[in-house]
Amino acid sequence: MLVLDRVAKTYPNGLHALEGVSLSVALGEIVAVVGGSGCGKSTMLRAIAGLDMPSRGRVVLDGMTITAPHEKIGIIFQEPRLLPWLTVAGNVAFGIEHLRQPERDRRVATALARVGLAEKANAWPRELSGGQAQRVAIARALVPRPEVLLLDEPFSALDAFTRADLQDHLLALWADTRPTLILVTHDVDEAIALADRIMVMRPRPGRIFDEIAAGLPRPRDRRSDEFDAVRRQVLDSLDRSLDRASANATRERLTAATYASETADLACGTK
Amino acid sequence: MTVVESSVADETAEFRQEQTRSLLDRLKGPAVGLLLPVLAAIGWELVVRLGWSAGRLVPPPSVIWATFLQLAQGGELQHHAIATLTRVAVGFGAGVAAGTIVGAITGYSGFISRLLDPTLQALRAIPSIAWVPLFILWLGIFEASKVTLIAVGVFFPVYLGVMGAVASVDRKIVEVGRVFRLSGTQMVRRILLPAVLPSYVIALRSGLGLGWMFVVAAEFMGASQGLGYLLIDGQQLGKPAQIVTAIVAFAILGKITDWLIVAATKPFLRWEDRFARDGAN
Repeated sequence: MLVLDRVAKTYPNGLHALEGVSLSVALGEIVAVVGGSGCGKSTMLRAIAGLDMPSRGRVVLDGMTITAPHEKIGIIFQEPRLLPWLTVAGNVAFGIEHLRQPERDRRVATALARVGLAEKANAWPRELSGGQAQRVAIARALVPRPEVLLLDEPFSALDAFTRADLQDHLLALWADTRPTLILVTHDVDEAIALADRIMVMRPRPGRIFDEIAAGLPRPRDRRSDEFDAVRRQVLDSLDRSLDRASANATRERLTAATYASETADLACGTK
Repeated sequence: MTVVESSVADETAEFRQEQTRSLLDRLKGPAVGLLLPVLAAIGWELVVRLGWSAGRLVPPPSVIWATFLQLAQGGELQHHAIATLTRVAVGFGAGVAAGTIVGAITGYSGFISRLLDPTLQALRAIPSIAWVPLFILWLGIFEASKVTLIAVGVFFPVYLGVMGAVASVDRKIVEVGRVFRLSGTQMVRRILLPAVLPSYVIALRSGLGLGWMFVVAAEFMGASQGLGYLLIDGQQLGKPAQIVTAIVAFAILGKITDWLIVAATKPFLRWEDRFARDGAN
């Protein structure tokens, strides 16, 4: 069980990225996080990954507070981040160097076959297309068999066909060991296609605004009425989250402006 | 001839043609590099033979070749070349070791960089010749002062190259190492070293070039052997052919040692995704 307990994050430059984010994710569950730009989605993911420490609150995995990257947690970034000096197989094996060679080779071969890149094992990253590189990144993140896999907009830079293809690959790989997946995405359809639950976040500071259960049988038909109903529900929630956020921001700005105006009036003795 | 035999014969002919082509391709690179010096040598030889120049101060290639053979047959050239090569090798090794260690630490730590870099940059600006009297006073006129001068020359480009390369390693790549919980040593071995290798090779080549420049300055410090000594000897005895022979020997040795660095590191840089002209390195 992964638990976020009132997680808050304020950066040294004063940016208040997250406030009071609490969330529980069961083992094997797929949770998508959607929200406008700057609502703290990636910050939340980095806190779960142990790459950034929360300013307040804590991230707990199986009763253990996460304070640094952990072997049970894997992450796939927006860009593949393959190491250019390693071959495809070398990149996939990067996180399992501690295993014996035969086991390592077996896992790498299996993972590459699962992402359809068995014939590219000896290729250099520069020889891959964007979609292939991201598939290698998925294989690399999965071979250590993490309990939790975090995905930070992993398909956002890809075209629609490649994205759909990779989503299928991801689901197939997930079905092998069923890790917990937390997917940050801007793509509402992607969230509904993959997730059991969709968390809608609102910005300034980032908070969880709404939670929507996808509750559709797999494989999901994106053209079905049920899919469309969930899509409308998520979009409505996103609209409301952004309206409320901008309304709040406007209100905050107005309050500050009123306060400044009143202060100025007092200073000038007009009040 | 059957169809199969004809096909086999065709394939064999094609294979031979391909082999010839690939041999030509392999030879083409060095041959193109030799074109300019060979043409210049032929041109100058013609100028002297046609009587347009006496060739006394700039001897023609035939005279230089004769001097080269004469020095080589007597074993003198090899003796001096080995003395120079040994100095460059020791100085280069020391300079590279110091430059790599200090550069890596300075590139890795912001505090150490703020502490050391300004002083090192100031020292870098000092001309090599300015060190000569001080090194002679400190270390005497024998090998120690010469090797130290070469090491100083090699140190700065290597230091600068390594520091810049380490400091500019992509944060996102380092984060991959963090995600996989690499220890400090593993991070250096598996992420930082491969990431800085291309820049490191360039730094080594720059350092070696300066090593060859500094060895001349070092051998001017009262050396009794070495190619630098041959230069001074040629100047004092009015033997321009000997001077040019020593210069040519410097050029040949410099090019060979540079090529050795390129050849030794090439297998480790096959992964590079770079724009490079055909044959450029």
